[in-house]
Amino acid sequence: MRSLRIGLLLGLRQIQRASIWTTVLIIFVMMLTFLNLIAVSGILVGLIAGSERAVQEKTIGDIIITPLDAEDKILQTETVRRTLTTIPEISAFSVRYKQGIKIEANYKTRRDLNAEANIVGSQAVGFNPFEEDTVTTLSENIIEGEYFEPNESGYIILGALNLERYTAGFADITGGLKEVYPGDTVRVTIGQASREFIVKGIINAKAGGVANSVYLPEQELRRLIGSPDRNANEIIIRLTDSTPVEALAVKDILVSLGLSEFAKIRTFEEALPKFITDIKNTFNILGTFIGSIGIVVASITIFIIIFINALSRRRHIGILKGIGIERSVIEIAYVSQAAFYALTGSFLGALLTYSFLVPYFDNNPIQFPFSDGILSADPESTFYKFVTLFIITLFAGFVPAWMIAKQNTLNAILGRK
Amino acid sequence: MDIIQAKKITRSFGREPLITHVLRGVDVHVAEGEFLTIMGKSGAGKSTLMYQLSVLDTPSSGELVVDGVDVMQLNEKERTSFRLHTLGYVFQDYALVPDLSARENVMMPLLMRGDPWATAKRKAAKSLDEVGLAGKYENLPTELSGGEQQRVAIARAIAVAPKIIFADEPTANLDTVSSKQIIDLLTCLNETSGQTIVMVTHEREYALGANRILHMEDGMIIREEKLR
Repeated sequence: MRSLRIGLLLGLRQIQRASIWTTVLIIFVMMLTFLNLIAVSGILVGLIAGSERAVQEKTIGDIIITPLDAEDKILQTETVRRTLTTIPEISAFSVRYKQGIKIEANYKTRRDLNAEANIVGSQAVGFNPFEEDTVTTLSENIIEGEYFEPNESGYIILGALNLERYTAGFADITGGLKEVYPGDTVRVTIGQASREFIVKGIINAKAGGVANSVYLPEQELRRLIGSPDRNANEIIIRLTDSTPVEALAVKDILVSLGLSEFAKIRTFEEALPKFITDIKNTFNILGTFIGSIGIVVASITIFIIIFINALSRRRHIGILKGIGIERSVIEIAYVSQAAFYALTGSFLGALLTYSFLVPYFDNNPIQFPFSDGILSADPESTFYKFVTLFIITLFAGFVPAWMIAKQNTLNAILGRK
Repeated sequence: MDIIQAKKITRSFGREPLITHVLRGVDVHVAEGEFLTIMGKSGAGKSTLMYQLSVLDTPSSGELVVDGVDVMQLNEKERTSFRLHTLGYVFQDYALVPDLSARENVMMPLLMRGDPWATAKRKAAKSLDEVGLAGKYENLPTELSGGEQQRVAIARAIAVAPKIIFADEPTANLDTVSSKQIIDLLTCLNETSGQTIVMVTHEREYALGANRILHMEDGMIIREEKLR
């Protein structure tokens, strides 16, 4: 305790008397190291986190109910629907019906019947437009035309990837409807049944599946399918609190109410495609690896700074030992300086990360083809990275101090080798 | 009673055949309360002898008992502790920690001995007052003259009330006035407090305040001169 107190005093005084610009420079290096550690992996993971977020917002919701493995529909969908309305933690839900369809355009103006038809296969999603919009805010993703109005019929919304002009890069693979715009009429065919719809709008989103599907009101799709079965393919749920912990709690409630007999209930994290989780973990490892190079650079920087500092004070270190100051005091003095640099640099780095970078990237995501990249920096992971940086910095400060302090006292005093 | 008993002390550097024998079997006895001066030309071995007596270095051979302790048997940690609790030092070029104020420099060994902060602060101020540096407690070494810095070093040495003070050419870097003040201060400490002092100097004028002078040449004591 005594050594710690004196060591801290010596360390503090050395920092106080050091050149302010040197101190600022060292802290700046430590701040950049911390940012490197957080931001590189944060942006790599953020690419996937942005994709995850989009999937949660637009496709899966906080909880998703899907058919049991042996079924193709959610059993007793109406019972499930009624049960969901009784749970206060659920702020909204949307019941979805899905069906493979063909969409054909420009069939009225087609003159050459032997030419290739303007047709594309897609998946139709039928829902209550109001309920769906409450859960997924799908209307915000309309890029042409408009979203559904209440109580209207005969309209369809097309995902952008069903149209040739939005699939320029993928057209060879996926094809797409040519020259279709809001207000045009398209023919939707399911099996033998066909019906014309007016294109109300075009929708686009980076969340998987949204831009590949077409959307129409639930009753219109069921009428076209021609089945009296009201069992749905999917129910997505939005919670008042969208955290994973809350999702798990509400899932447990739904299971306890017996809904798992009718359908599979999964939280967002459970329903997330495995490849996304795998990519996220891979990017995290990659980011940590790149960040660790930064740690090595920082630790070498600290080592050199402390080494030069201690070497230039070798004689004073010898004198301190000569008058009876323990070696541990001298080591603590230098380690405490390293700790100061690491703490201050990390604090400023964390401040910059959470007060500026994270909000900035949330509001201005990096535009990637498959997601809107954000800066993913969860506090727990940041804390562990800080602890890693801190420990390595302490070590980098200790080694040179130990090397100099262990030298022969008289040799240090006399400046002998 | 002798507070330092050194018998047949040798100190050599290097290895055969390039070995240098700096001390060649020196016998020294210092009585408690004595002011001993070691004199000699450059290379005579006077500083080396003082480093052995002051436990800063370890003799190559011989016997050395300081304050009743066989210091030849102590390990590095025990030697550091022994120096802290028994000895005080005044070095040639002041040897103050440049980042610490005058008072903090004096406080260092006090804190290391376990004095609480307030006690160390008070004792340090008292020591600085004794060497005539009242009002300069917070000055950094760079803000003090050479003479004042050496007085801080003396204050640091006396603050812990050591059994023996070792002074290695304390006037070497000082002007005449400052040198005289430092010698007067050491003499006064010896006369008024009975402080044992071992000082190395090559200037006879400053050695005259001592009780005894040991004259060295080629690593041996060639003559002893009693003054008082």
